[in-house]
Amino acid sequence: MKRFVVWLCVALLVVALAGCGQQAAPAEEEEPAETLEPIKIGVQGPISGQWAYEGEGFVDAVSLLAEQLNAAGGLLGREIVVIPGDDKGDPKESALVAQKMVAEGVTAVIGSYSSSCTEPASAIYDEAGIVHITPSSTATRLTEKGYPRFFRTCFLDDRQALFVSEFLRNELKFSKLALLHDNTTYAKGLADWTKLYFEERGGEVVFFDAITPGEKDFTPTLTSVKATNPEAIYFSGYFPEGGLLAKQAKDLGIDAVFMGGDACNNPEFVQIAGLEAAEGAMISTAPLPHDLEYPEAAKFIQDFKDKYKEDPTSVYTVMAADAFRIIAEAITKTESIDPEKIAAYLRNDLKDFPGITGPINYDEKGDRLGSIHLFYRIDANGQFVAYE
Amino acid sequence: MEFLLQQVINGLTIGSVYALVALGYTMIYGILRLINFAHGELFMLGSYLAFSFIASVGLVNVIPNLFLAIVVVFILSMGLVGFTGVAIERIAYKPLRHAGRLPAVVSALGVSIFMQNAVMLTYGTRYKVYPEGIIPTMAWEILGVEITLMRLIILGIAISLMFTLYFFVQKTMVGTAIRAIALDHDTSRLMGINVDSIIRLVFVIGPALGASAGIMVGLYYRQINFTMGWAYGLRAFTAAILGGIGNIPGAMIGGLLLGVAEAFGAGYVSPQWKDAIAFTILILVLIFRPTGLLGERVAEKV
Repeated sequence: MKRFVVWLCVALLVVALAGCGQQAAPAEEEEPAETLEPIKIGVQGPISGQWAYEGEGFVDAVSLLAEQLNAAGGLLGREIVVIPGDDKGDPKESALVAQKMVAEGVTAVIGSYSSSCTEPASAIYDEAGIVHITPSSTATRLTEKGYPRFFRTCFLDDRQALFVSEFLRNELKFSKLALLHDNTTYAKGLADWTKLYFEERGGEVVFFDAITPGEKDFTPTLTSVKATNPEAIYFSGYFPEGGLLAKQAKDLGIDAVFMGGDACNNPEFVQIAGLEAAEGAMISTAPLPHDLEYPEAAKFIQDFKDKYKEDPTSVYTVMAADAFRIIAEAITKTESIDPEKIAAYLRNDLKDFPGITGPINYDEKGDRLGSIHLFYRIDANGQFVAYE
Repeated sequence: MEFLLQQVINGLTIGSVYALVALGYTMIYGILRLINFAHGELFMLGSYLAFSFIASVGLVNVIPNLFLAIVVVFILSMGLVGFTGVAIERIAYKPLRHAGRLPAVVSALGVSIFMQNAVMLTYGTRYKVYPEGIIPTMAWEILGVEITLMRLIILGIAISLMFTLYFFVQKTMVGTAIRAIALDHDTSRLMGINVDSIIRLVFVIGPALGASAGIMVGLYYRQINFTMGWAYGLRAFTAAILGGIGNIPGAMIGGLLLGVAEAFGAGYVSPQWKDAIAFTILILVLIFRPTGLLGERVAEKV
C-alpha cells in the first residue's frame, strides 16, 4: 500500500511537470513573453512592528490604485502586481527587504516609512537602478546624496522646522522651548532644524536631548524638562513615544504645551496619551486626508472607504497613493518601464501633476517643491482640528 | 532636592516592576540553575491577557466594583500565566533536565521566540492600548514631588507581593522545601520532598509575579506591544544578577536599584546614557562582587 502511494505521487509529479512544459511552450510562440509579463511595483514599509499602522496604509493605498488600474486594462496593456515588503521599521531589515525587491525585479519601489529605513534601502535601489519614491521620509540628507532615481512625495524637515519655529515665535509668542527627539534620522534632523530656526528668531531652546525609542518610561527625562520650565515641549519623534510623553508629562504636572511633529499625526497618538493628556496637544504636519481640498482627494478617500471600511487617517497613506500615481503617470507618458526614462520624466517633464496632496513638482534633487504644513490642535474629543 | 526626590520616585516605580520580573528569574535559577529566557515573554503575556479581560471581555464594566474587577483581572491573568509557566516547564525544560545547562537555555530561547510569535499572530502587530481611565487619575504634590495614584498602586502591589513571597519562602514548609531543592535535588528527594511538584510550583509563582508586573505596566503606560518582553526581561535579568542571582531579597534590591540608577542616569546625565549607566553599574558590581550584592559564594557541586 505504502509503495503504491509513493508511485502514485511520482506519477502525479511527472504529469504535473509535463503539463507545465506544454503550457509554457505555446505562449512563447504566439507573442514575446516579455510584453505579457506584469509590471512589478514594490511597496516597502513597516507592515508589522510599532509603525504597522503606517505600513499597512501604504500597502492598502497602493493595492487599491493598482486594482483600479488593472480593472481598466493595466499600464501599457500589462498587469500591475504590487509586491509588499515588510521591513518592520528596522534599518537592518530594510536592507534585506531592498535586496529582496531587487531580486524580484521590480520597476519601482514606494517606501519606506521612516528616514532611518529609507536611507539604507535607497543606496541599494540606486545601485540596482530602480526608481525609488518615499511617501514619508522627510530627512533632508536623503536627497543630498544625489541618487538620480530617488524622489519623495512628502515635504522636507527643514521646511516643517521653519514653519514650526515661525509659528511658535510669531503666533504663540513663545520664547522658551524644550526639544526632544529620538535619534532617528528624521527626528534628529527635524529637531536640529527647529533649534536652528527657533534660535535665529530670538527664541531660547532650554532643553535639547534624545529619548530611546521603544521605551515606555520617560519620567526621568520629563522631570529634567520640567526643571527648565519651558513654554512648550516639541517632540520630533514618532507617535508611540509621543503619546507616552504627552501622558507622562501630564502625570508629572508639566503645564507646557505638548507639541509633536508630523510623525505624531496619527489617531493612535491620542489613544496612547489618553483624551485627558492629548487635549490641547498640537501637531505640526501636512494636512490630514480629510482636510485636503483637491478633487482627487475626495475621490481617493471615497474609494478607500468603500474598499477598507475606514478612512485613510494618515496623510502618508495618501502620499503613498500619490507616489504610485506619479509612477503610473510616468510609465504611461514615456510608454516604457525603463527606470532611467521614468526618472527623467519625473525630474524634467512632470509639471503640476494633480496629486491627491496638491500639485506635484520636483526640483533637481528629487525633492517636492512647496510646503503645505499646518498645525493641528487636539480637542476634547480627541479629534485633530486645524489651528487657524 | 525636589528634583532628586522626584527622580527617586520615578526610579522606584519602574524599579519595582523590574524587581517583580527579576524574582521569576532568580527563583527558577535558584532551583534549576536555568536562566529562563522565556520569562520576559511570560511578563508580556500577562499584560496581553489582562488587556483581553479588560478591553475585549469588558470585565471592568461587568463587575460593578472597580476594585473587585481589578483584583479579578489580576487573579485570572496571573493564574493563566502561571498555568502557561507550568506547561512550558513540562514541554520545554523537563525532558532536558538531565541534558546539561546549554540545551535548556537554547530551549528557553526557542520558547521565547515561539511565544512572541504566538502573541503577534493572535493579537496582531499593532501596539495595543489599554482603555483609558480604569485607574482614576489622581495626583498629589508632596514636597514638590508629583505622585499619582497609579504609582502608589504599583509600589504598593509590588512591595506587598515581594514581602508575601519572602515570608512564604522563609516561613512555610513549602518554602523550606523550595530552599532545600535549591541546595540539592537528590538529597531533598531522599528527605521525602516531591521535587517535581515543587519545581512546578516555582514555575507557577515566578511567571505569575511576572504577569502581575506586566499588568501594572499595561495599566500605567497603557501601551503594550508583543516585543516588550525582551526589553523588560533583559532589565530584570540584569537586576537579578545585580542582586545576586538565586537570592530573593537580592532580586528585589537589584530591581529597585537598577530603576533608580536608570532614573539618575537619564535625569542627571542624559536620557541617551540611561542604559549605558545602568549597565556600567552592573559591570562594576560583577568586577568587584562577582556574586552580586547579596549573593553568597556557593560551593559548586560536581
